Amino acid sequence: MDNSAPTVNGMRETGGDRASGRPTGSEPQRALLAVEGLTKQYGGVRALSEVSLDIRPGEVHSLVGANGAGKSTLVRILAGVETPDQGRLLLDGAEQEIANPWGATELGLGFIHQELNLVPRFSVLQNLGMNYDAKARYGLIRWGDVRPRAIEVMQRLGADFSLDREVRDLSVSQRWMVALGRSLMRETRMIAMDEPTASFAAEEAERLFAIVRDLTARGVAVLYISHRLDEVLDLSETISVLRNGQLVASLQASDVDRAALTEAIVGRAVQETTRHITPRGVAKDAVLEVRGLVRAPRVNGVSLDLHHGEILGLAGLVGAGRTELARLIFGADRLSAGTMTLGGRPFAPKAPFEAIARGVALVPEERRSQALLLRNSVEANINLATISDNRWRSELPLLSPRKARVAAKQMVERFGIKLVSVAQPVGGLSGGNQQKVVVSRYVRTGPSVLILDEPTVGVDVGARAELYKIIRALADTGTAVLMISSDFDEFAICDRVAVMRDGRIESVVDGALATKETLTALCYASGSPEQ
Amino acid sequence: MTEKSTVAEVPAEQITASSDAEVRASRSGLLGRAGDVNWWWIVGRYGAIVVLVAMIATFAIIEPGSFATSSNAIQILNQSALTAIVAMGLTFVLAAGDFDLSVGYATSFGGVLVAGLIQRNGLTIPLAIVLVLVAGAIIGLVNGLIVTRVGVNALITTLGVGTIVVGINYAYTNGDPVTINNPTSFIALTFNKLFGVPYPVYVMFGLAILLWIVLNRTTLGQSIQAVGGNPEAARLSGIRVDRVRVAAFVIAGACAAASGVLLTSLTGSGAVDGGDSYLLSAFAASFFGSAVLRDGQFHIVGTLLGVLTVSVGFNAIALLGLNTYAEYVFQGGLLILAVGVGTIARRRAAR
Repeated sequence: MDNSAPTVNGMRETGGDRASGRPTGSEPQRALLAVEGLTKQYGGVRALSEVSLDIRPGEVHSLVGANGAGKSTLVRILAGVETPDQGRLLLDGAEQEIANPWGATELGLGFIHQELNLVPRFSVLQNLGMNYDAKARYGLIRWGDVRPRAIEVMQRLGADFSLDREVRDLSVSQRWMVALGRSLMRETRMIAMDEPTASFAAEEAERLFAIVRDLTARGVAVLYISHRLDEVLDLSETISVLRNGQLVASLQASDVDRAALTEAIVGRAVQETTRHITPRGVAKDAVLEVRGLVRAPRVNGVSLDLHHGEILGLAGLVGAGRTELARLIFGADRLSAGTMTLGGRPFAPKAPFEAIARGVALVPEERRSQALLLRNSVEANINLATISDNRWRSELPLLSPRKARVAAKQMVERFGIKLVSVAQPVGGLSGGNQQKVVVSRYVRTGPSVLILDEPTVGVDVGARAELYKIIRALADTGTAVLMISSDFDEFAICDRVAVMRDGRIESVVDGALATKETLTALCYASGSPEQ
Repeated sequence: MTEKSTVAEVPAEQITASSDAEVRASRSGLLGRAGDVNWWWIVGRYGAIVVLVAMIATFAIIEPGSFATSSNAIQILNQSALTAIVAMGLTFVLAAGDFDLSVGYATSFGGVLVAGLIQRNGLTIPLAIVLVLVAGAIIGLVNGLIVTRVGVNALITTLGVGTIVVGINYAYTNGDPVTINNPTSFIALTFNKLFGVPYPVYVMFGLAILLWIVLNRTTLGQSIQAVGGNPEAARLSGIRVDRVRVAAFVIAGACAAASGVLLTSLTGSGAVDGGDSYLLSAFAASFFGSAVLRDGQFHIVGTLLGVLTVSVGFNAIALLGLNTYAEYVFQGGLLILAVGVGTIARRRAAR
């Protein structure tokens, strides 16, 4: 892992002028990549507001911030996926425009997104070769040229698997190495890593840190995005903190501790006293009892009680395992361990239809891909989970179009869905009205437990307030509601809020105390829960 | 910003429709945003029907003595019946989002099996027909189970199963037609008439009504359409997606075999590859139908219209004394034209 290893040509250029070694933070050094006054607006929302920062060669520059702080937007702009409204990018002091992902690659910027974007059925070598077509002549890939380079890169990373294995047979961390290797095939000067350790085991993460240190020792800059503050403090030289689209602090890692960093992220001093756990066993009438649910890698032993008529919020950072937990309860994915009881009886749904039959419903996260039949009518969409309820008579298999229409119209009225007719395609409705259609579909199944996964994403302010009212009204009539949200302000409607981290429930906060700041702090809180 | 929609959103101010007529019009999409007539929408939905009507009108003028007669109309319907039965069954599989390349071979299979059961095993005609329908359903069941349980792509599964069915057909017949020695009562199935109309026309329309009800008025049919529209949404809405897909294959298999029974009854003997050609005609009709009346969804009425349009064209080509190649050029061209125009029209109408 030291400099005696053969130099990779991607590092050669920057390696020379950096003979002075790792930056200490005190010496002023010219930025490799400078971001100046970057602003990006989506609709009326400012995702990034005049953000400026310098990334120096050979440093680990971490980017931290709560959900929606603007980290992804910044990375997407650097990667050429989005174009900024204002501001400029300077590479080695020269202004550059990154119009598309290919442009970013050409400039020597590599990106390892959470999804990795590998081809699972391709071999490691084929995946590495995808980004290496500089060696292609007349459109032909010369694998003979690719292989030595691939061997060189993967050896440097300490990969212990064959280049000829298919990527789908590799573990998560091995795949990540392939994705990194693909960036290094070309001359790469900066690599951005988005939540690299989210699905890594501890020892795998150690390996990743070693690789990062090796890269920076060779002059490559690493833009490191992570929710794990200990990692960030351990690994980086510079830490940039984003909050609500603004750069609120650019810190030297050596100057800050965990508490100070958390405070910068949250925006005010965090009182550890607000963190308390409701004692187990006081449950009045738990409708749903969840014990020790496991499905690796995202859900690692979750226990919680959901009471009759309450709204339980589920807070957490991206990758905390909230959606995965909801899918386990709903039977959309299979459990590897754990038990549940519903209304006092064992509950182990093998598929969503079993959960719905027992009175558990899930409004899924992705409205368009997981919930709606976009071309079909509003009526068909509302009735989708309750088709058989519209039969002429329960003993006949024939459906009554009149009953379906009446049912749809009732839901439209009850939920205040704005439309021309229940016969119009649901794809033409606004996001808020589409969401109401989906919620009404599941409400019509008569659930005793209703799980909502990010119910207000892409929903305008007015419809949002109406959705809260609907959810509150459901709880008041006895439905137990579990609401996942990344917008912590909306937990104001909750009776209790559970905070999930790394696949576990870390703490449960009383609704009255569940402010955005408190919850954000708890999402970053370290160590084992205190009493 | 993952919410980028490809579908035009209805602005809030348009939501408050003032009159009943306006509601009715804009509900169906006839009126565009500004209230003017959306011609592209009309072309997309009714273009194919206009073409059919125009064809009938044109041929009626050109060939008033031979084309525009009631006996010729009945002839056209009778010629449509066998393809229509295969195509309507196939429509279920397509509506569920799958493919079935085995339908033509299953038709041949039904044809030789019904002849064999009557001639070789001496079964009564009704019993033979029931057994053949069951056998066709079993082909569909095998298709469905391989697709859903094993997870093999439907195209590959049905190609494989269809090829095996061809093999079974040859094994059962040694490649020779299976002829019924005393075919009068069996041939009566297709040659007898009621009110001047041959039985197959009744079978076609009877099945059309039955299958329309299944697809539009039963939980199974609605589930099939949901699975075809968005399988993940259907699953998360409590629909048992795998069962639904299997059921669609079973319906297609049974319909193909039923068509084979009628095919054999035309001549009293079942040829080993007699029904193979229905595969492409059935696909063409179903895809043509998806461009009619609905926005690219497969449905029974559309499929039926697809079969009829092709039959009208074939009939006219024969009456005009054109070469056989004209039939193929016509059928292929019509399919591309209808689906192509439908696709463009939908895209334009959405703007």
